[in-house]
Amino acid sequence: MKTTLFLLASLAGGALAAPPMTDRITPEEIAARRTASPVAALEQQVAGAEAKVARPGEQSLIKQSEILSDGTHWTLVPKGAVLHIPAAMAARVNAKPIGTLLSWNEFLVANRGWLFTEEVTMDQAAGKNAIPASRTEFWQKNGKVIVAVHLGGPISVIALPSTPVASAQ
Amino acid sequence: MKTHLLLAALLCSHAHAAGEGFVNFIRQHQQSTGVVWSMPVVPQGEAPSQLPLEEKGALFQLWTIEQATAKDHLLDQKLVGAYLPTAGITIKTLDPYSAVPRTRADQPFTVTVDVAGLLAGSGLPDAATKVLLEHHLANYSGNQKSVPVADAVSGTPYSSAYLTTNGTTPLNFPVTNLKASDPTLATGEEHFVVHALGDDRTAQTQIASAYVQVWPVATGTIQGLTAGQRVRFHAPALTVTLSDLYPRSNTWLQIYEGPARLNTEGTPIEGSALILDQDTSDSRILTVSDYDDVMEKDGTYTIELLTETPFGIDRLHHLTFTVDRKLEVRATLGGLDGQ
Repeated sequence: MKTTLFLLASLAGGALAAPPMTDRITPEEIAARRTASPVAALEQQVAGAEAKVARPGEQSLIKQSEILSDGTHWTLVPKGAVLHIPAAMAARVNAKPIGTLLSWNEFLVANRGWLFTEEVTMDQAAGKNAIPASRTEFWQKNGKVIVAVHLGGPISVIALPSTPVASAQ
Repeated sequence: MKTHLLLAALLCSHAHAAGEGFVNFIRQHQQSTGVVWSMPVVPQGEAPSQLPLEEKGALFQLWTIEQATAKDHLLDQKLVGAYLPTAGITIKTLDPYSAVPRTRADQPFTVTVDVAGLLAGSGLPDAATKVLLEHHLANYSGNQKSVPVADAVSGTPYSSAYLTTNGTTPLNFPVTNLKASDPTLATGEEHFVVHALGDDRTAQTQIASAYVQVWPVATGTIQGLTAGQRVRFHAPALTVTLSDLYPRSNTWLQIYEGPARLNTEGTPIEGSALILDQDTSDSRILTVSDYDDVMEKDGTYTIELLTETPFGIDRLHHLTFTVDRKLEVRATLGGLDGQ
């Protein structure tokens, strides 16, 4: 018993004396301990005028993303972050998530040969400012998949209606 | 406004879910523009968000994806804005386990909600003067050991109420609120969420969340010996059936002389000790034999099945029996005189 009491003391952080042994609690004893929820004592909503709140609901990160794959590794970026897909690279975008999942940075380092990042401003991401035409022309010549990033993290880009930024060769 | 503290809380509170086999992602959704930024993230620690907070705020989501299945899980989310109230929730139980607050169905716990940034005065919109606290219940079914957070907090809450003042609101719960036909076996999670009050255009309103895991009260029986049984030469082998042992517990059999008396220190039976220190409750079956040496004399003995948890020692089962090893020789003495 001494060893078990010592264990109890260590379990409780040593701050509490060992409580006495009790028989296993019964369902009736638990029911007797249960009281009204303390939440009920706070200000209640008025029926018919409930607060408008939005709960998380069913969501999927994968469905909100574009998947990049090199055949053995994959990662995902926000939808709208892939700015340019050369025709020869089409199979590497929105591929099935097969192989080892890597973080964005790990995946980028492993796939510099066909992946290129375009640093964009917040206003460009929000579609308030266009990405300069010189950059989109560069993407066409570059021949790599272009992913928009902001401070190193992939970011969605809302295209200006008159200046589409995504194109395919 | 940098959201340094927020991200630290997001990362640390779910560090246990960021282990081997999982890759984490933090997404920041700008509420005004709809821009989504994937924040570079390490498995543990803290980092400031570098994006400006727009007027309508930003929704931060912590996701993890399991390597083996490519299944994504939303671990937490929080709406943050310069003009939004802020909130934090802490849950204290009697179990010092740090990865996640956890307790047992019969034990009390305290939820403390801290709110700041609410305004007081007349003519202000509700969104500036109050937040909504929700309490959600999520029972485990079968061998389930966790519930996806989004599932747990998406339905109609068990209860809800407004918090209308800044500061700390402690809520004391004497036992779990989870429902079960036998309340001692209730198991699952109790989630607490604070929402800012939104409007029809607000995509998400959660500004704080926390949950507590609830495990059942263990049950156990000793088989192979019955109450009142007379043990003669060798004590019978025992089968000890244990169900729902608390994740951190020490369980054993002890024997002492005399009738059952609670809080009696007996002699532990060798081979009966089971020590658990894990993330979930467990069930086991033990076989114990050759324990005659703890019953040196004839007489009455009590055997008890005990389990020790952070909440105390529970006696799960006990039996009183007798040991009688006296040899009785019945014989008739016959004389040899007649021979």
